[in-house]
Amino acid sequence: MSSEIAAGRVEQPQSPAERLHVAGLHAPSDAILSVRDLNVRFNTENGIVHAVRGVDFDLMPGKTLGIVGESGSGKSVTSLAIMGLLPTTAEVTGSVRLKGKELLGLSDKAMCEYRGNELAMVFQDPLSSLTPVYTVGTQIIEALTIHNPGMSKQTKEARAVELLAMVGIPSPKERLRAFPHEFSGGMRQRVMIAIAIANNPRVLIADEPTTALDVTIQAQVLEVLHTAQEETGAAVVMITHDLGVVAGMADDIMVMYAGRPVETGAVDDIYYNPRMPYTMGLLGAVPRVDVAEKSSLVPIEGMPPNLIHPPTGCSFAPRCPLASDACLEGEPALAPVPDGPLHLAACIKSGSLGGDVDVLDVFAAPPVPVSRFDAIPREERATVLQLKDVRKHFPLTRGALLKKRIGTVKAVDGLTFDIREGECFSIVGESGSGKTTTLLEIMEFHKDQDGEVVIGGISNKKAADARAKSAMRRELQMVFQDPTGALDPRFTVYEVLAEPLQNAGMEKPAIRKRIMELMKLVGLQPDHVNRFPNQFSGGQRQRIGIARALAVNPKLVVLDEPVSALDVSVQAGVINLLDKLRAELGLSYLLVAHDLSVVRHISNRVAVMYLGKIVEIGEVDRVFDNPRHPYTRALLSAIPVPDPQLERTRERIILQGDLPSPLDAPKGCNFATRCPVFAALPKTKQEKCLTLEPPLLPVTPSPAAQTLAADPLPALDQRFACFFPDGEIDEDMLVVHEAADHHAP
Amino acid sequence: MTNLNAVDPAAVAQDAHLEGADVVIGKNTIIFRRFMRNKTAVAGLAIFLALTVFSFVGGYFTQWDKETIDPFNIGMPPSAEHYLGTSQAGIDLYAMTVEGTRISILIGLIVGLVSVLVAAVYGCTMAYFGGKVDKVMLFILEALIMMPALLVVAVATSGGGEGLKRDLPSWLLLIIVLLVFSWMGTARLIRSLSMSLMQRDFVKASQYMGVPARRIVWRHLVPNIGSLLVLDITRGVTGAILAEVAFSFIGIGIKVPDVSLGVLIGGATSQVQTFPWMFWVPLTVMFLLTGSLAMMNDGLRDAFDPSSSSSGSAKKRALKTRVKGNAS
Repeated sequence: MSSEIAAGRVEQPQSPAERLHVAGLHAPSDAILSVRDLNVRFNTENGIVHAVRGVDFDLMPGKTLGIVGESGSGKSVTSLAIMGLLPTTAEVTGSVRLKGKELLGLSDKAMCEYRGNELAMVFQDPLSSLTPVYTVGTQIIEALTIHNPGMSKQTKEARAVELLAMVGIPSPKERLRAFPHEFSGGMRQRVMIAIAIANNPRVLIADEPTTALDVTIQAQVLEVLHTAQEETGAAVVMITHDLGVVAGMADDIMVMYAGRPVETGAVDDIYYNPRMPYTMGLLGAVPRVDVAEKSSLVPIEGMPPNLIHPPTGCSFAPRCPLASDACLEGEPALAPVPDGPLHLAACIKSGSLGGDVDVLDVFAAPPVPVSRFDAIPREERATVLQLKDVRKHFPLTRGALLKKRIGTVKAVDGLTFDIREGECFSIVGESGSGKTTTLLEIMEFHKDQDGEVVIGGISNKKAADARAKSAMRRELQMVFQDPTGALDPRFTVYEVLAEPLQNAGMEKPAIRKRIMELMKLVGLQPDHVNRFPNQFSGGQRQRIGIARALAVNPKLVVLDEPVSALDVSVQAGVINLLDKLRAELGLSYLLVAHDLSVVRHISNRVAVMYLGKIVEIGEVDRVFDNPRHPYTRALLSAIPVPDPQLERTRERIILQGDLPSPLDAPKGCNFATRCPVFAALPKTKQEKCLTLEPPLLPVTPSPAAQTLAADPLPALDQRFACFFPDGEIDEDMLVVHEAADHHAP
Repeated sequence: MTNLNAVDPAAVAQDAHLEGADVVIGKNTIIFRRFMRNKTAVAGLAIFLALTVFSFVGGYFTQWDKETIDPFNIGMPPSAEHYLGTSQAGIDLYAMTVEGTRISILIGLIVGLVSVLVAAVYGCTMAYFGGKVDKVMLFILEALIMMPALLVVAVATSGGGEGLKRDLPSWLLLIIVLLVFSWMGTARLIRSLSMSLMQRDFVKASQYMGVPARRIVWRHLVPNIGSLLVLDITRGVTGAILAEVAFSFIGIGIKVPDVSLGVLIGGATSQVQTFPWMFWVPLTVMFLLTGSLAMMNDGLRDAFDPSSSSSGSAKKRALKTRVKGNAS
């Protein structure tokens, strides 16, 4: 490890890291980017928010530093401060040195010399960081022109083509003249990376570069970032809330909390031997996609402190299960932990928190709730929702005056599944695969739908009048993705919860009583009912959303990405709550999520959708441990795991390209255009994939197992739609990062 | 069975924190604070209120009224007897200005308020029903936008409608005509805004709970476009005052013996050289009126805009204390 994070605040020159500096053991002059005591203050209605409080780090050339933390921990503000992109109202103090030159205090004009040249940034949202009115070529060439005024037009164009090819955009020469809207989200993020590396930056800051993207695309973009770093030799600062994303990429990790680094060290130290309870909590809060064992997640209760008031003790103490009186006396400084001088933690108890401490014990994770339905075989439970061959096709028309039908978008194409009592059924897939449309079709519930929807015994074909609909609404409720958008900002919590009850015709006293019950049920304080949604944190708002859905005692709750808008620590609390409610109230869930780790943690059964069709369906452990369809395999392999060693060595299937437009969906198997197995098949077999549509067939136990068993084996609960599940995977799509490659100097 | 139901200490601590530290500031308080911080806007509000008070009580400070002719003072400049001088017909300009300001403010307020109300109802209805209703209502709206307002005002106030003119004072007629032509832009804005609100998750949530659409519009849509309505009222008032002045100026709005700022300005343009006070006094009042509203509107927009750069005053206070601390 040649790149280390030097820490210790300037006020405490006695810290060992500083002494190392003095001794010249790792002189800051080696560092390409060196940040010392960075402080950022913002001025708000409530007072001064001290958003970043003393960040120190040294970034060595060619190395990657991961900055991890919840939202509001000051990660993005730190990066913007380095780039000099904060609004002028922000007060920035400290020192940021790029190759020894001070950047703080430079005028905007002087900063422009560095921005896009030696310092470059990739932003979170690729949809809004490209100008829609210029071609991507113009925008890449713009970045080149500014810093290389002498470059000829031909050279610039050639360089732009080279850059686009480097980030993996097919036929780069033609795509140069394309506009941003002609690119998908992942492609746009590649263009952003191309622009960022155009001038061979020494430091590349990536602020949540893949958060807005699908897992398969995330895998592609991370791969591109990896290549970009190799090509340019730039040092990378990777800012993320996802511990999985940085596990495979970073050399060092800095965990931030309440505007301060609370633990820093080499990636292995942080992941395998965390010494700060916050880091331990963060790691325990993430569900693992590769682990079948069912245990509750670690919720970190409470929310980050308000940075208007300087914390008197350890900033994490109010949420820390191990906090004692000593923790409240002064904020602990970053200090080396016993296992090495380069691993620092800001905790007075770091010495006693070794790798052998179980995070579940520390944070008192709730026991795994057991539902009364778990003991009953699935076949004997009542069906709460049944879909029979549901389709939703949108006509695609062209022409202004005379509308001509040029095709059909098959958003949902023949979906059949059922959900039993007390069961959690999940639908996973990339965006555009038809998950949300499926939910909307269920929620719409009217007679003219193509296909039958049966909710609690009420079919949309037989009874779709107002009364049947209102009976159906009591069986089925929904929890939305964005808890902020789903609550009317002008309603108090009481009004929010009262709405469905009033609608059900309940009396006032009964409503009051029920609301108090609901607040307790979802773990909120009943006396908070008079508050407005903006007075709650994201996790609490989602709890209010869940309480509203449960108000009328439904049997089935539809969860549309219920935790994707929440921080990991909060997410764990909400997932545990959902798990508990399912067990206690005997609820069934229909969950749509793109996060497969969450799906694995909470569901019993899962369906993988691709272009409106189910490609694989079955019991969650079977599908995740033994995926048969190549798409499921690719999806699963695209998910980063918060385990650095595994992440560095495992094989990954990187799918080429994006989800095809439903218009040019192939005739046979939908997935053929991107299929890693298809690419490796001989021509004769490919023909079959292209012409015939694979049916959804159950997995049969292997002949060997059948002969061994005395009785005929029961059919397994897993079905998939692929002709060649055991086919070889095309080598171009397989990526393995060698461990050696990672540690190479 | 789990610790989720238990009241955990962290949450309690955090609540105490929340309550003790007034972290949560009501939205109205924030808007009020932001507005009050904008000195120009507060000055605008003060000027507007002063003018309104003046237009109602100003008449008591002089014995003249807008109809009495003073045969001894015809076309006289300001003097002790006639504060602002007299017209060439011998009518006291001060009395006329008070009357004209009142009529102008009245027209402005009525047209501003009522047109926004009409626009809100019309716009929300369009968004709520959608489909064919929306199409028809949109067509009517577009047709009204394309109608030559100037011509209609001219016809209504001078040419046709003799019966109407007998029964109604000319300023009331002008209000009605202005109303007919002033609400369409806002209605279209409100329609699009409500349509995007209809797409919001909380509206969808109510729909999926089976709440009737009428109740959704009333409880979810209207309160959420409130800030836009307030802004539009001040803008509408300014617009109406200016329209009145313009119409009266070219002689198709308010008719003598009714008097308004526009009538006064229009009547005096030909004699700017000989009777300058007749022209400059009403013009100044009109500038004060529309100017103050514009200043207020600017402040209101800043106050309502969540992304406004109007930042807290804490910095200055903190800086001061810091300076004090250093000095001591």
